[in-house]
Amino acid sequence: MQSHKMIEKKRKSRDGKKHDRPQKFARKSKFSKKRGKIEDDKRRTGPRLPQSLRIELDRINPNDQSGSEEDEEGINDDVYEYEEGVPEEESKKNRRFDSVENYEYELPKDFKDENVDSDDDDDDFDGGENKIAHHKGKKGHLDQLDDDVEDEDDERHLRMLQGITGMPSQAFQDRKKTKVVSEGYPESEYNPTRDVLDGDGRIAIEDLLESIQGKPGYRELRKITRQVEKKGKVLQAPLPKEDRDRLERSAAYEQSKKDITRWEPLVKRNREAPTIMFDKDTDSGFSTIGAIASEFEPRTEFEKKMSSLVNDDNVMAAHKEDGSRLLELNKISLEDYISSRNHIAKMRSLLFRHEVKMKRVKKIKSKTYHRLLKKDRLKGSVGIPMDAEEAKELAMKQEFKRAEERMTLRHKNQSKWAQRIVKRGIDTQDEGTRAAMAEQLHQHALLTRKMNSMKDSSSSDDSSDEEDSENSDGSDEDKAPKLLAKAREKTRRVLEEDDGVPDSGVLSLPFMKRALKKRKEAADEEGRLAIQEFESSLKELEDTDEAKITKTGTVIEPKNKIRSSSYSSDSEAELEAQEDIDIGLGRTDDMQNNINVNSVSLYVDADIPQDSVLKNSELVKDLGPKMTYEVSILQSNTWKKMSSSRNEVDTNGKRSQKVVEPATHNQDIEFEGVGEDSDADSEGQMLDGILSSEHKSSYKLPSQAELIREAFAGDDVQEEFNKDKEEIMNLENPEPEKPAQLPGWGQWTRVQKKKGLPSWVLEEHENAKRKREEALRKRKDAHLKHVIISEKLDKKAEKLLTGTLPYPFTSKEVFEQSIRMPIGPEFNPATAVRALNRPEVVKKQGLIIKPIRYEDVDSHERGGEERRKSGQKQKIKRSKGRVKAVVAKS
Amino acid sequence: MKVKVISRSTDEFTRERGQDLQRVFHNFDPNLRTQEKAVEYQRALNAAKLDKIFARPFIGAMDGHIDAVSCMAKNPNYLKGIFSGSMDGDIRLWDIANRRTVCRFPVHQGAVKGLTASTDGRILVSCGTDCTVRLWNVPVATIMESGNMSDCSSEPQAVYMGENAYWAVDHQWSGDLFATAGAQVDIWNHNRSQPVSSFKWGTDSVISVRFNPGEPNLLATSASDRSIMLYDLRVSSPARKLIMRTKTNCISWNPMEPMNFTAANEDCNCYSYDARKLDEAKCVHKDHVSAVMDIDFSPTGREFVTGSYDRTVRIFQYNGGHSREIYHTKRMQRVFCVKFSCDASYVISGSDDTNLRLWKAKASEQLGVLLPREQRRHEYNEALKKRYKHLPEVKRIVRHRHLPKPIYKAGVP
Repeated sequence: MQSHKMIEKKRKSRDGKKHDRPQKFARKSKFSKKRGKIEDDKRRTGPRLPQSLRIELDRINPNDQSGSEEDEEGINDDVYEYEEGVPEEESKKNRRFDSVENYEYELPKDFKDENVDSDDDDDDFDGGENKIAHHKGKKGHLDQLDDDVEDEDDERHLRMLQGITGMPSQAFQDRKKTKVVSEGYPESEYNPTRDVLDGDGRIAIEDLLESIQGKPGYRELRKITRQVEKKGKVLQAPLPKEDRDRLERSAAYEQSKKDITRWEPLVKRNREAPTIMFDKDTDSGFSTIGAIASEFEPRTEFEKKMSSLVNDDNVMAAHKEDGSRLLELNKISLEDYISSRNHIAKMRSLLFRHEVKMKRVKKIKSKTYHRLLKKDRLKGSVGIPMDAEEAKELAMKQEFKRAEERMTLRHKNQSKWAQRIVKRGIDTQDEGTRAAMAEQLHQHALLTRKMNSMKDSSSSDDSSDEEDSENSDGSDEDKAPKLLAKAREKTRRVLEEDDGVPDSGVLSLPFMKRALKKRKEAADEEGRLAIQEFESSLKELEDTDEAKITKTGTVIEPKNKIRSSSYSSDSEAELEAQEDIDIGLGRTDDMQNNINVNSVSLYVDADIPQDSVLKNSELVKDLGPKMTYEVSILQSNTWKKMSSSRNEVDTNGKRSQKVVEPATHNQDIEFEGVGEDSDADSEGQMLDGILSSEHKSSYKLPSQAELIREAFAGDDVQEEFNKDKEEIMNLENPEPEKPAQLPGWGQWTRVQKKKGLPSWVLEEHENAKRKREEALRKRKDAHLKHVIISEKLDKKAEKLLTGTLPYPFTSKEVFEQSIRMPIGPEFNPATAVRALNRPEVVKKQGLIIKPIRYEDVDSHERGGEERRKSGQKQKIKRSKGRVKAVVAKS
Repeated sequence: MKVKVISRSTDEFTRERGQDLQRVFHNFDPNLRTQEKAVEYQRALNAAKLDKIFARPFIGAMDGHIDAVSCMAKNPNYLKGIFSGSMDGDIRLWDIANRRTVCRFPVHQGAVKGLTASTDGRILVSCGTDCTVRLWNVPVATIMESGNMSDCSSEPQAVYMGENAYWAVDHQWSGDLFATAGAQVDIWNHNRSQPVSSFKWGTDSVISVRFNPGEPNLLATSASDRSIMLYDLRVSSPARKLIMRTKTNCISWNPMEPMNFTAANEDCNCYSYDARKLDEAKCVHKDHVSAVMDIDFSPTGREFVTGSYDRTVRIFQYNGGHSREIYHTKRMQRVFCVKFSCDASYVISGSDDTNLRLWKAKASEQLGVLLPREQRRHEYNEALKKRYKHLPEVKRIVRHRHLPKPIYKAGVP
């Protein structure tokens, strides 16, 4: 009650002070002269203002209070009460009621006017003291409020002091005054208290904070208080419970939503994965053998017995302490011991008997006996190869041995022993070792002989062929006549041979027979020609031999001459060809060797002009395009040679003509590109070599279009297509039958003829025609010139088509793509089949699948993982490892 | 004359061991096999037909209860064990492999309405209309193996009394909390006789409760005021309510996609929701012709099984509008509870006819150990069927099912 009153009073006084402050200076100027003296007085005398003056001032002040200030006070009052209460009552309570210190208090010597002295200055050196002073000042003016009561007390006190000490009351009075006055001067409008001067008179948090300025944590506190000031809100009345609950729920929902959302990437990955595996995390529960063993519980009789023995306390103890006690535990019954001993004795005696027997046998010196024994043993193991089966078996065995030999090469100085000997040098060895080595090698030869022989038989043809070709390659000049003769012989032999027509199969059919016969005749003809040619060339060779010039020499030298003289344009291709001549010659020899093969399988090509003389050229041409080119060059050379020295050529004019023809032909195709020339023309050209060469020089490259036109001169594609289209159209929309005379009634009379066809028939026909036209017009390809769209339904294909686009697919192409590649093991390699056929969910029967566990998935890894999934296994493992690591981290 | 023969080098063709397969060379040039598509199509067709031939989903019935089976729970740690509770208060533990009762827990006074087992499979929680929650010790697997049928632990480990009848119970995954549903939702700890916390939102009783296996602090309930509610244990307040047209009988969370759950509704449909977007169902699974009583997701998260009042069990794809499979027998009555086995290969249904029935999840699956070649064959056939499932003939065969007449008639408007 008391305190309440006091607070009330204080507030009042404070209000008063408040009002004073703004007016103070103005009033000062106004009343300075008037009251200057009084003020001075006050300064001198101390804090007190006379009571009468105070009352008077109070009377004046209410008039000064303006309305505008009043409402401000109203607010301030509440806040003031609220905030001021704390420091007043709590922090300084003790001091306030404990006045002992106050008695001791001396006004400092350097006490100055409050106006000058600022809080901040004091704070610098000691905050704490200042605060006390501050507070005291406040208390001081509190005390003044109830002066009346105090005055009496003071007087009594003075009297008491006088009585006790015997000193004049003056001494005590001074002292007392200093005691009471904590402020320098009594509070009034002219002499306001410090806090009034400093600020609004409240103790704010700043005031408290100032005291701890510079101490650790000050900054943060200040920051916080500033923030609080900034955002300081007035507490609202709490919401109704329903609203609060609703808000709470929505917050909870948002929270749980957020929590669930973190699963999204993981779920997405699982959904998009072509396969999810549930068979991987086999958690067996035990990590080590020890763990498994510790969990083991005996269930069956045997296990129980075992465990009872193993876990016997005595045994365990014995093990722990000392091995010696184990012996005591290890008791064996007498019967057991006897029986086991008997068994051992029996076995021993048996062994002994066997040994004795073997000794006796070994002592026998008869070789025959041993031989027989050995044979017997062999017989026992292998047996005599009496019947076919056994023989076969033996052969198999032998074969196996041989195969083994081939695989291991055991007898071909591969053993360590042999290698060592070889290393040391066989010559240094003694005779026995050498013999052994020889024996080994011999054995190897024996074991591998069969293989070689088989190889020989299979590849004899090859080797002979190779030999021939090698020979021909080696020295063609010398071998040429021989080869020619050989070729001739072979051809003749082939001609004479009567190749048996097969009695069965396709070839035995009559028309096939006829065709074969025809072909054979043709081949015969060619063969004969070839023989003639061979003979002529042989003759020529003989001639050239006489002239001491080798064939190739004759061929090349004049050619070079001609080129230098009459060739104005030399293409690179020709040059190359000329360089190749030697090889070409070799090849021609080869070809001649192979003639017997070709002549059998030759066929008559209709495209090539059918001159009787051209047969051989065809023959040459069939050997392959490259050959023809080279040969033609060669032959043109020979022809040129002929033109240069006619006399020589006369002897074999026929042959040269033959040879020339294909050459010109080839040149036509490959160089000139003038295919339209008639055979006669080309022959005419060829008759005069210089003419043809001049023709070549004036040759111009044709344009691409020309070339194409020439290439496809024969066939009219468009026409064909149109015909095809028309056919298909007719097939799908057949033309109506033309109305004809109906058989039957009136046919034999003239009536029908005269009347013509009945109108309904005509009408029908017209209708059908119109319908067809309509149908043709409606066809999808009616306006598409280059397209045929069949409108016939294929029922077999229909079942492979869907009526509509299936659901997950967005376009036809994607769907078709999805079922385009086959997935079966017949159509794919074994490595790919597994991946292609892997089901969406791979699980193992009997394996418990746990719910999903959270793991971090970042998008980069996800892409990689998918790639890896389709790829190799190792990579999968590695990525798994990484994922695990991530889990561990998170 | 040179004769070309097929020549094979012995090195290439000699087997290292007798068991090695002979080396076969194959030319995979597509030009050599132009009919591959037709061939594969035919194979797909055959595979579909073979599937029909081998479709024998029913493995066996387990009888023993003397009243309708009202609820089931699987042992998350032991594949062969499944618990079932019946309307007469009997709880049984079954050995699925041998299809016989291993253990009985017959104490409940009224119907057992909810059963669940802890994640480690040691503790079974049951609740019922007698207002009690009972915790039982589950016999260890070895006793189950040894097979002497007994009331192995006829005394419950703990009995907690409540004020109202309980409708459902579910255990948290990998925690020791469980939730009961009744007049309110209570969260219990194993060791406390009083609920750790309880939620009440609205006045109607809650009829089912399910914890989210992926996100163990989230649970969903359905109440008889047609609502589905989500709760978050961390903030200990209900999170969201969703009111549907008709009552939801059961809810199942997708174990592989923690944001998704599917609700089995009275209106014959199942609704898949994303818990974050409850404005509309992500997928409506139609096919049942009567109220869907129970639903359970496969552990793979790719399909779920539903049991319905129309006496059928159906299996749906998690994103399929229609069921891929329907199971029914003449003797099976209203199905009250269904469960997918923990290895996603079997389905167990409990019905009004007091029996539990064991089905294969894939009707034509070959049971037992498969040789690798068999395995590959099956995989190939499956892949072919999947590839050609859109083509009319294959589609027709794969879709075709024989239905009981009433269901067929109800299904065809």
